[in-house]
Amino acid sequence: MARRTAVIAALVVALLAATGASLALGAVKVPIGEVLDIILGKGGTGPNHQIVEALRLPRTVEALAVGAALGVAGAILQGALANPLASPDVIGVTGGAGFGAILILIAFPASIALVPVAALFFGLLAAALVFGFAWSGRNRGGTGKIVLAGIAMLSLFTAGTTGLLASFPERAPSALFFIAGGLTNAGWEGLRTTWPYFAAGGLLAAFLIRPLDRLALGDDVAASLGSRPQLIRLGAGVSAALLAAAAAAVAGLLGFLGLVVPHVVRMAGGTSSQAFVVPTSALGGAALLAAADTLARTVRAPIELPVGPFMVILGVPVFLWLLRKAV
Amino acid sequence: MEAALLEARDVEVAIDGTEILRGADLDLAAGELVAIVGPNGVGKSTLVRAVSGLRKPSAGDVHWSGRDLRRMRGRELARARAFVPQRMPVPAGVSVKEAVTIGRSALLRPLGRMTRADRAGVDGAMERAGVTGFAERALTTLSGGELQRVQIAIGLAQEAPVLIADEPTSQLDLGAAIDVSGLLRELADSGLAVLLVVHDLALAAAVADRVVVVHDGRTVAAGEPTDVLTPERLERIWKADAHLTAEHGRTALHVAWIQSS
Repeated sequence: MARRTAVIAALVVALLAATGASLALGAVKVPIGEVLDIILGKGGTGPNHQIVEALRLPRTVEALAVGAALGVAGAILQGALANPLASPDVIGVTGGAGFGAILILIAFPASIALVPVAALFFGLLAAALVFGFAWSGRNRGGTGKIVLAGIAMLSLFTAGTTGLLASFPERAPSALFFIAGGLTNAGWEGLRTTWPYFAAGGLLAAFLIRPLDRLALGDDVAASLGSRPQLIRLGAGVSAALLAAAAAAVAGLLGFLGLVVPHVVRMAGGTSSQAFVVPTSALGGAALLAAADTLARTVRAPIELPVGPFMVILGVPVFLWLLRKAV
Repeated sequence: MEAALLEARDVEVAIDGTEILRGADLDLAAGELVAIVGPNGVGKSTLVRAVSGLRKPSAGDVHWSGRDLRRMRGRELARARAFVPQRMPVPAGVSVKEAVTIGRSALLRPLGRMTRADRAGVDGAMERAGVTGFAERALTTLSGGELQRVQIAIGLAQEAPVLIADEPTSQLDLGAAIDVSGLLRELADSGLAVLLVVHDLALAAAVADRVVVVHDGRTVAAGEPTDVLTPERLERIWKADAHLTAEHGRTALHVAWIQSS
């Protein structure tokens, strides 16, 4: 128990540090005291005020929301599918969202404002197709069936994306940022359309924590305890699809985070209890993405690097170190 | 007479169009241990899964304390019966106490918190199942017998009047099987109704108040072990030249293992 408390404390500290750094650092450094004053509404109206309030605050909140959403999506999918490789990729969301965004960026570049909407729409469509197929015919709702349908759908949408990129090679560079994944300085625009999806997915995830713990003891035990295993898996899929599609709409394809963060917190806490893993995946994902985003826009400021590759570089050594200790 | 805890009539189950169960009856009252026996593949597990609500019957009636199974959901079902599978998957990093606490969560409302009574319920279930001594150990470190006791503790935490165990001893060595079947007998003696699916006829005869024989998708006989498990029935249903003896709490199945032709 002490170990888990320590992990939670460390994550909260990391989250606060990453949030502070994200608000204070960038092309212009704003002292943390001034940042606090501005956030609390006590600051003046100077350029720093503008930078923090109009640019960095929304960007930081986006990073926290996207990071938490992907962490939670990965945690509940790994639990629901009893598969350590599960992430929003395996229910097709990432492939669908990527296709939707690239479709707009490449085929309808004039309608660039539609990128988040298209990512959301195709991400949810792909997940709906996966669950539609997995819930038809024999052994409906079986774990293997969901994963296989998901991988098939991922391949299909990835092929569509690659086809689009190959057909319009001159427009491909505009799609790179989305594929690599990254946050932008677009203010509150991204969250304004996506927050209901984050909220609904997160709320559903909270209700799934206990049922997923039951499912970890097997379908039979879960059923003995009055749960319906297939319904839990469907709920987890819907929640993860909402969270991951909303995340992709805001920040592109950051699949790595959803795969790795739940494993890191499980190994660090020494437990796979969902009551621990789901909230700590949210904390860890939020801290990781905020830290990586800060790093991505400061190391070569004023040039911004896409956060996706940065996060992988930050996360993989930690992951491998924990993996070596855990197994 | 009290209303039966479980009353199942003419239960039928078809899986992918194949009839597995074609008419099974089952009754269970408080404080009795009923063993369901029969050859492999006759529908024993399907029967207990159907009456437990784990598999939907295609026909027939199942009532738990007078309540129609078709109308029962979630917590109500969890309070009516606990189902203990043969062997549950063992998640990493989950302790015995956490697993039993998950069992108790069946009684909570969604997002509801554990009360003092719930925590006492968890401790009580662990005590009855004899797992208190290793409550803090991880499930992954337990022996087969210890794990089976934990599964029973998870079921007891539901505080249902009926415990259904599907072949709890089939993967255990002799000592562990004695241990687990002794525990189930104790639980029945303390007032719980226990339904046990079991292969070992000698074990069934030793611990059960009644045995129910399932054959070809039907319940074909029920009664006291020595009355039901006659040499003629063992010959007809199991194709075995065997007879059962029972005295002073000891049972034996004398089998002609090598058939002289």
